[in-house]
Amino acid sequence: MLKLIVQRLLALVPLLFIVSVLTFSFTSLLPSDPVDLIIGDAGTQEQYEMVRHRLGLDEPVHLRYLQWLGRAVQGDLGTSFFNSVSVTGAVMQRLPVTLSLTVMSAIIAIVIGVAAGVAAALRPRSWIDRFATLGATFGQAVPNFWFGLILVAIFAVNLRWFPATGFTPLTQSPWEWLRSVILPSIALGTSSSAAIARQVRSAMVGVLQQDYIRAARAQGLPFRRVIFRHALTNAMVPVVAVLSFQITVLLGGALIVEQVFAINGLGTLAIGAVRQQDIPMLQGLVLVMVALVVAVQLATDVIYGLINPKARPS
Amino acid sequence: MRNWITTPVMSLAFATVLSVGAAMAAADGPAGTFKYAEQVKLITMDPQQQSGSGVPYLRPVYESLFEMSPDGKPVPLLATGYKIDGLTVLITLREGVSFSNGEAFNAEVAAANINRGVKLGIIEGLKTVESADAADPYTLRIKLSEADPAIIDSLCFTGGMMLAPAAMADPAIDRNPVGTGPYVHSKDQSREGEVQVYTPNPTYWDKDQIGLARYEVWEIPDDTARLNALKTGQIDAGNWLANPQSAIIERTAGLKLIRNTGGLNYHVIISDREGTVVPAFADRNVRLAMAHSIDRAAFGKAVLFGLADDSYQPYAKGNWAYDPALEGVYAFDLAKARELMAQSKFPDGFAFDMPSIPIYQSRLEALAGFFKEINITMNIVPLEPGTLARRSRTTDFPATNLVWNTNTDPKFLALRYIYEDGAYNPFKAKPSDELLSLAKAGLESVETDQRGPIYRKMAARLAEEAFLIFVANSPILIGTSEKTAANPTVVYRYGEDSINLRGLKSND
Repeated sequence: MLKLIVQRLLALVPLLFIVSVLTFSFTSLLPSDPVDLIIGDAGTQEQYEMVRHRLGLDEPVHLRYLQWLGRAVQGDLGTSFFNSVSVTGAVMQRLPVTLSLTVMSAIIAIVIGVAAGVAAALRPRSWIDRFATLGATFGQAVPNFWFGLILVAIFAVNLRWFPATGFTPLTQSPWEWLRSVILPSIALGTSSSAAIARQVRSAMVGVLQQDYIRAARAQGLPFRRVIFRHALTNAMVPVVAVLSFQITVLLGGALIVEQVFAINGLGTLAIGAVRQQDIPMLQGLVLVMVALVVAVQLATDVIYGLINPKARPS
Repeated sequence: MRNWITTPVMSLAFATVLSVGAAMAAADGPAGTFKYAEQVKLITMDPQQQSGSGVPYLRPVYESLFEMSPDGKPVPLLATGYKIDGLTVLITLREGVSFSNGEAFNAEVAAANINRGVKLGIIEGLKTVESADAADPYTLRIKLSEADPAIIDSLCFTGGMMLAPAAMADPAIDRNPVGTGPYVHSKDQSREGEVQVYTPNPTYWDKDQIGLARYEVWEIPDDTARLNALKTGQIDAGNWLANPQSAIIERTAGLKLIRNTGGLNYHVIISDREGTVVPAFADRNVRLAMAHSIDRAAFGKAVLFGLADDSYQPYAKGNWAYDPALEGVYAFDLAKARELMAQSKFPDGFAFDMPSIPIYQSRLEALAGFFKEINITMNIVPLEPGTLARRSRTTDFPATNLVWNTNTDPKFLALRYIYEDGAYNPFKAKPSDELLSLAKAGLESVETDQRGPIYRKMAARLAEEAFLIFVANSPILIGTSEKTAANPTVVYRYGEDSINLRGLKSND
């Protein structure tokens, strides 16, 4: 297992390099210009050239990239084009926000998805199964930002149970933190719970027809033990793969949901950076997101190996 | 010599407007919190590098030399008076003022501020300033490169905001603001990208005006999220553009939509008015036909959600240069527009390209529909956000569309659109003698009573020549809770999307 982890971490280096080259190249091809935004409507051509020079945008792309890379390998991802905020500082400040949202959404997705999937699989073609299938279809079809708006209208604006906007850090108040992430996490996690429910149902139906399950039941093992110890553990093997993909989807979805709830996470930062063409910020964000996705996949592989001995590297 | 001393009487009049809040603040001392939501993200807290919106982030910390009274006249703030003699402006400064870091405010510091602003070159209002120096410890002398009757107006806004010397030398000034204002920025309590927190300035020169224990500016760019925050009481007030959310505020019980003075005038500019690329644009009948073909009422209702006024001139109602006689000067009249096209040299119509950014797309689609009725095809060419102004200053497009702050001094109208070397006259079209003489006459006086009639004539002449086609005026919109609307200490700054913090108290 350790070998797998080391292999994955080593693979991360060329991956990040390729991603950084692509991000730098693509952002350089964009037609908009951050200098326009900096100098404003009253800016003159001289000012334009001056700011362009100050930001190093008059240098060839490959030179700019190499300069950036030189600093990046020393842990310095640079500074925003628009102010003195460091990219590393901005990303690290928002990372806990997006991670809070993603983790809470993943918990909601897993709890709802596994429960609905197991319930549907235990009584195939029953009303529970049909209801779960319908719910899963609804969950996957509904855009999370729209669902978020509905949740805000009902639970924040009308009932005043939760705040409509904003995020409270966990360190400041655990209770307020929970209140601030519940609605966005439900909005974000619903579609993933639907995907997980479908996968769990499908896997469970298959596992429940296996001989070893019948044998366990015949031996008189308690129903719950058969389901949760024997059937679900085996059914979770394909589910873990789906879960890995869904967590990546949640990370991406957080970018939109953060806007709806005015949560200041990586998504809000990314959208601002894209609008302003803040290349250093974009570059840093993409690298962090790639690293997060790789970390999720690595964690998946580890969990996969733990629950499925056949998948462990020799 | 023009000697226009701003007397204490004017200051007193303005102070009276704020007196209710100030008296209450003085009686109780700083208490409570006021939460304001800003629709634009914080870019910089350096006022001299501020190129767009975001003034609400600056006002708690920075004070300007002058500020606008509720009726739009400049009154002293850090200054005590001024006089203009040709190209020299002498400004007397308030004594006994210090920055929140303890540095003294005097003429030398004020001159350093102005010179820095001139060198940076971002602020349009300082473009006419050649240099500044200290005539004596408390008299600032500004030398102009050309006559500028609007210089004092410019010093009411970011151009006149004073930074502490140490702040000017700080490379991280965009996040470490130090001014003389009633509040100081609390970096520890602020959260980057989310909320900026301000607490009372212990060294403030007019402590009675500090009414809050805490002032917060929340960054909520999403209009719906900002609306929800207002509905649930998470914020006390916030600013909006004319959009569906501001229309909702207007019709929601318990909320109030304030139409503050000033706003944005949306207009079409026929840049190629001599017909270099599009010959039809040289024909005045064509331009007038376009102006008459626009159904402004329908435009305002459909595109600006009924929150805008029809516009036929650069200034909004209440502005000293506004001329009520111009209302409806090229009102919607399709029959007349078609007649004008028939009389032109282009009765069968023509096509042209118009640049667009996403927020103007719906406006341009509506205009394209109007122009289609008179056989003019307007091809909408999408541009990247943030590039419209720059591209409009090039010959890439024969026409463009922009907004203009209706409180901007009319002299900028000439500087932007009329003069041959005007920033938004890329085809270098020669202005008519009448327009040119009016533009120059408007610079000869600093008195708005004298300048008003000149600029009203200029607006009338612009309506005749019709190369600037004014469409709609959207006011500055501030959404508030019922409590904020009933708070007597809430005074909206003239021409700004912010609240005057001097004397402001919390709603509770």
